[in-house]
Amino acid sequence: MANKGSSPKGSLLLLLLLLSNLLLCQGVASLPICPRGAVNCQVSLRDLFDRAVILSHYIHNLSSEMFNEFDRRYAQGRGFITKAINSCHTSSLATPEDKEQAQQIHHEDLLNLVVKVLRSWNDPLYHLVSEVRGMEEAPDAILSRAIEIEEQNKRLLEGMEKIVGQVHPGVKENEVYSVWSGLPSLQMADEDSRLFAFYNLLHCLRRDSHKIDNYLKLLKCRIVYDSNC
Amino acid sequence: MHLWQLFLTLALASSSDAFPGTEDTPAPPGGASQSLQRVHPSPETNSSGKPKFTKCRSPELETFSCHWTDGVHHDLRSPETVQMFYRKRTKLEWTEEWTECPDYVSAGENSCYFNSSYTSIWILYCVKLLNNGSTVDEKCFSVEEIVQPDPPIGLNWTLLNISLTGIHADIQVKWESPPSADVQKGWIVLEYELQYKEVNETQWKMLIIRKCGCLTNVRDPLIDLPIIWMKIESRDFHFPWLLIIIFVIFGLTVMVFVFIFSEQQRIKMLILPPVPVPKIKGIDPALLKAGKLEEVNTILAIHDSYKPEFNNDDSWVEFIELDIDDPDEKTEGSDTDRLLTIDLQKSLNLLGAKDDDSGRTSCCEPDILDTEFNASDMCDGTSEVAQTQRLKGEVDLLCLDQKNQISLLSLDTASATQQPSATLVDESKPSPLLGGSESAPQASHSQLSNLSSLANIDFYAQVSEITPAGSVVLSPGQKLKAGMSQCDMHPEVVSPGQANFIMDNAYFCEADAKKCIAMAPHVQVESHGEPSFNQEDSYITTESLTTTAVRSGPAEGAPSSEMPVPDYTSIHIVQSPQGLVLNATALPLPDKEFFTSCGYVSTDQLNKIMP
Repeated sequence: MANKGSSPKGSLLLLLLLLSNLLLCQGVASLPICPRGAVNCQVSLRDLFDRAVILSHYIHNLSSEMFNEFDRRYAQGRGFITKAINSCHTSSLATPEDKEQAQQIHHEDLLNLVVKVLRSWNDPLYHLVSEVRGMEEAPDAILSRAIEIEEQNKRLLEGMEKIVGQVHPGVKENEVYSVWSGLPSLQMADEDSRLFAFYNLLHCLRRDSHKIDNYLKLLKCRIVYDSNC
Repeated sequence: MHLWQLFLTLALASSSDAFPGTEDTPAPPGGASQSLQRVHPSPETNSSGKPKFTKCRSPELETFSCHWTDGVHHDLRSPETVQMFYRKRTKLEWTEEWTECPDYVSAGENSCYFNSSYTSIWILYCVKLLNNGSTVDEKCFSVEEIVQPDPPIGLNWTLLNISLTGIHADIQVKWESPPSADVQKGWIVLEYELQYKEVNETQWKMLIIRKCGCLTNVRDPLIDLPIIWMKIESRDFHFPWLLIIIFVIFGLTVMVFVFIFSEQQRIKMLILPPVPVPKIKGIDPALLKAGKLEEVNTILAIHDSYKPEFNNDDSWVEFIELDIDDPDEKTEGSDTDRLLTIDLQKSLNLLGAKDDDSGRTSCCEPDILDTEFNASDMCDGTSEVAQTQRLKGEVDLLCLDQKNQISLLSLDTASATQQPSATLVDESKPSPLLGGSESAPQASHSQLSNLSSLANIDFYAQVSEITPAGSVVLSPGQKLKAGMSQCDMHPEVVSPGQANFIMDNAYFCEADAKKCIAMAPHVQVESHGEPSFNQEDSYITTESLTTTAVRSGPAEGAPSSEMPVPDYTSIHIVQSPQGLVLNATALPLPDKEFFTSCGYVSTDQLNKIMP
């Protein structure tokens, strides 16, 4: 071998890449459903929903873990619970809040709502990643999960748009979503306030990810299995 | 069998963690709960008798209930009234007032039940406990955080099949989702965990986590043990153990590969020691390639194990040559004597390891060999029986002769041959002189005659040709015999007959030989034996593997007259290319002890006879 010195390094790098993929791709399909530009690519709705549910479940798990990690690391003893929990920026969206409401809403509307919520989180997730990186002693557990959630959120959004295209084709929805304005809070000088802002954001993320996960499972059973999972 | 003793008791338990580790959400509205506690740090909170929330739980994400402990009644006179109030945060703001619990009954004592109309998911609730108007406990949560599904129902098992040994079995375990959970519409998705334990154990072992409602092919040797309890849990969360295991295995594999391909030779030697290449000391592979075999040979000769091969025949020849080259030793007795010495024991001992297979195995079958031994054993004691046995057509003679020959050959001294292997030739007339294989001088012949050993069996014969059938045709020896027989009578005749005799091979019967010997050994020996035989170079004896002529000196004198004596000898065994072993043929001789000549003809001799 010409370059024996770098072969072990190359192997290690390869190992790291593979492992990172393994970690991040837990239960998640890594290949695109349809390559871009493929017009006639028709993945079945069942497969689309299966993948979407897997993604949403994965994102919810990551959010829970991230929140717990943050709570354990930063929120203990700070009395965040004493402070007012601000409502999440997505609360303005008229999402069903119990089973009856969810069953009454039309599945197309529910799909649109899901897409809106997902869109609403693009910006906050992006800033969450950048701000967590800027934190002193940036916790890798939180940062890595934040990065992963941001990535998977985008993919879930793409999948949902495909589903909407199959379920409700032809309707071009205005890209409505809730605007997030919590960035200044994340950048406050006061550490307490800043941490509280993070805490609130992560709490809202956990809640919304559960909401999306539940909606998608409901829709999957309703659309794909005709309410007979 | 254990399986038939299985007792399944459904002990279903269920647990669910919608949000891991957070059953009580620490999210008070406006910091109510904690601040309340801070603002009103009542001493009553320190006592253990205060009512406290124990658990708030939602089994199906549609309703929920809160439970609390009933405090110790400090004052029996005024029973304490415990009230629970709740408040929930709507989309943008909290409800202003605390509302009392809608249902204190449905969930049991000291509980508050919120049915589906009062339940909203993804919304913060705060509940507080009031004791005589004073808040004693408060907590805040969201309904999706306190989901704890009911246990599955219908847990049952079915025996599918049992292995032949009865140790392993396949079991199908079935259960159904709890009725409260609406899994059919997908509102809640449950995961199940199957646990098992032995009868007398206390710890439950987890078997598998499943999402569906059944589990087939539970093939685990531990299942064979009697199981009483089978617990199924419903959960909503799992930990990626499989991922960790895969990660570890992958890392180890990569590390191994890194070491293998690493340039660290030491590590490589440790993990993969090189296989030693076969090598001979002093041998240079280049030498072999160059083809210099002589040098290789010299080097290899250093090693003891390496010995150049020797022709077996050569060793045989050596032995023979030794005997022939030393006539003095042979003067002590004719070759025949030596060959036929009865002292087989001695000779065999001397033989030792020499030429164990020369001749003997060529003609002898095991039984024959045994017989030979028997015969030899009886040599000392005259045993006609033994001799007759041999005469009976067995090829014993051949073997015996060969043995004798071997023994004699190996012996330099013919002392052993001094003994006239008398038993051998009780009735046979030895023809020692005839069997004389060397160009014996007179003295030798005289000595031979002295020996006059009965062991002198006729076994010299000249093979004139070999029939296709395999039998060997010997040149007529009757003449000789005839001559021999007459030699007694007409010793004078012997002389002139020598010439005739010369031409043919000498196949002498013992009787004739004896007569001749007895009569005029000297005469026979002296005169004419030598040259005539030399000419023919045809006498073949067992010992005369060399080309030296076999002289049967005394025999020469004999064959004045020829008597028709059959002289065909069939080949007993053709042991090409070593030689031919001649068979004994019955000859109508008065002295019937006709020992067939044990002709062991070497290929060289044969070639000379028959080009």
